Amino acid sequence: MADLVSTADLLGYWLGIFLTICILSFLYKDNPFYKFAEHLFVGVSIGYVIIQQYYSVLEPKLVDRLGDGSWLALVPLALVCMLFAKLASRRLAWVARFPLAFVVGLYAGFAIKTVQSDLGAQMAESMKDLDEIKVNLNSASEEELSRLPGISEPVAKAIIERRAQVPLASVDEVAGLPGLNQTQRDILGEERGALIGLDARAATSDGERDWFGIFSDLLLLCGLLASLIYFYFSIEQKGAVGKVSRFGVWILMIGFGASFGYAVQGRLALAIGRAMDVLGKDKDPLLAERIHGPLVGCLSIAIIVIGIALWERRARRGRVD
Amino acid sequence: MTAGDKQPRRRDWIDKLQSFDRRWIFLVMGLAIVIPLLFPLNLPFKPSPMVKALYDTVENLDESDVVYLSLDLDPAATPELEPFFRAVVVHLKRQNVRIAIGSTWYQAPPIMERWIREVIEPQQARQGEGGYEGLSDRPYRKNIDYVNLGFREGRDVAINKLGSDLRGLFDNRAADRTPLDAIDLMKGRRRLGDFDLVILVSAGAPGAKEFVQQVQTRYNIPMVASVTSIMTTDMSPYYQADQLLGLAGGMLAAAEYEQLVGKPGLGAKAADVLNVGHLVVILAILFGNFVFFVGRRQGRRV
Repeated sequence: MADLVSTADLLGYWLGIFLTICILSFLYKDNPFYKFAEHLFVGVSIGYVIIQQYYSVLEPKLVDRLGDGSWLALVPLALVCMLFAKLASRRLAWVARFPLAFVVGLYAGFAIKTVQSDLGAQMAESMKDLDEIKVNLNSASEEELSRLPGISEPVAKAIIERRAQVPLASVDEVAGLPGLNQTQRDILGEERGALIGLDARAATSDGERDWFGIFSDLLLLCGLLASLIYFYFSIEQKGAVGKVSRFGVWILMIGFGASFGYAVQGRLALAIGRAMDVLGKDKDPLLAERIHGPLVGCLSIAIIVIGIALWERRARRGRVD
Repeated sequence: MTAGDKQPRRRDWIDKLQSFDRRWIFLVMGLAIVIPLLFPLNLPFKPSPMVKALYDTVENLDESDVVYLSLDLDPAATPELEPFFRAVVVHLKRQNVRIAIGSTWYQAPPIMERWIREVIEPQQARQGEGGYEGLSDRPYRKNIDYVNLGFREGRDVAINKLGSDLRGLFDNRAADRTPLDAIDLMKGRRRLGDFDLVILVSAGAPGAKEFVQQVQTRYNIPMVASVTSIMTTDMSPYYQADQLLGLAGGMLAAAEYEQLVGKPGLGAKAADVLNVGHLVVILAILFGNFVFFVGRRQGRRV
């Protein structure tokens, strides 16, 4: 692996590490190293976009089609040209309205489709039966069994085989079924639980209720209604309506809190990605050894620290003068 | 010392905390990321139901099946999505499932080419090597076991076209210009609904959400998705409504998927760091709130 790394690739890895440190130097303060990396990124991105758009869009959809004698390809070309009509004369600015109207109309049509996927499907999910019945291990299908916590396809098959001979008397018997390996037994052990685990979702007779599931569905319904009431402005939000609305705000805050938590995780993941790249933790060990990421990272930090110190000294002198 | 002397000293202390240089927090966060990477803690984690559902969906594929893998991402999203991609490809390859890859993001082609070169084409997992107990996978051959369809511009329009006429969108040829009719795994596959599963690796719009909105609901296509953390709360209602058969949100979910596949990789390495990083964020929030409330209380007294 390491032998396959060319000098150009090696320089590319080193440049990547140096530019990463340049960008991170903004955490100290805005400085020339950060500016250099930022401008380089913008310039390279624009160059890349132009090349990529030509080879992925213009060439196959326009050049090749015109070459094949498909003159219909001139229609989108004409629409694009119309967008730039006002460059020829300001009096022709109105011509650009036609392609814009075409795009707006097209996307309005696509947006209507979301009514079915977002509004329809989500409303149907919110209106489901509140009565949650536990899955009967002695009569459920293999698919229903596989959806239960801790029950994979082989475990579901083992349950079906066993109940064909003797019905299961309790959920405890599942872990003791013959033919299961130790991993499957361990997973079943981990997934037990009377509140949200296997015991809460499965039973060995018909009609047993999943009380936590019922509570969860009720909470969803109440939360949904309360959140909707918060956005209902035709009634003054005081008294009972105000209290329900307040509950809706809490539900929304919990939702925003979850989003914020995931956003933090996402930003951390970006930082981890760069740290892994610099330390060589995301690469083959032989390749990482060849790149010497930590050493290059330390050298980059040293160069940038010295550079910023000199830049600040020069700036101070400039102010004194 | 009188009570009057104590009051200014306490104010000094609170003022100092309130003017605390935030760059110290950056430094602590930097250390919280680097140290667990160098000295792993191996903190335990357990697959969530959404990730398990995704794993089960892929596990239920057969040898003759073909999946469409949509890589709608840019380089910034690779730390979150690459661990999942690596794990799901091992999972697909060890079941001999063939793969068609496409993208609606112009930033994706170089990443697709690298991942094909590093993950799809070579063998990734050998039974008994490095504690891996699953079945071995095998090297995949271009245009036989996998096909790279490349990138097409058009956002929602392109996704909609994938649902109705995939071949038309890609001009009936692969990224290397091989006609799709000459590729065995594409025979009889003209639209997304002809694939046995659609796997979305998505970093934003257009991506998993647009696939569900434009294609899944209309054609009832089985889909699973791996998305960035920030998209998870937006996407989980689709999983709850069975529009997505499985969902992996962010780096930690990728680590969970790796655990289910039995081959820890980049996600497992990052899971420790995420846990320590989250702890630092929680402590920073508590510290900020403490300083704010103490400062406000002192301000009232003065």
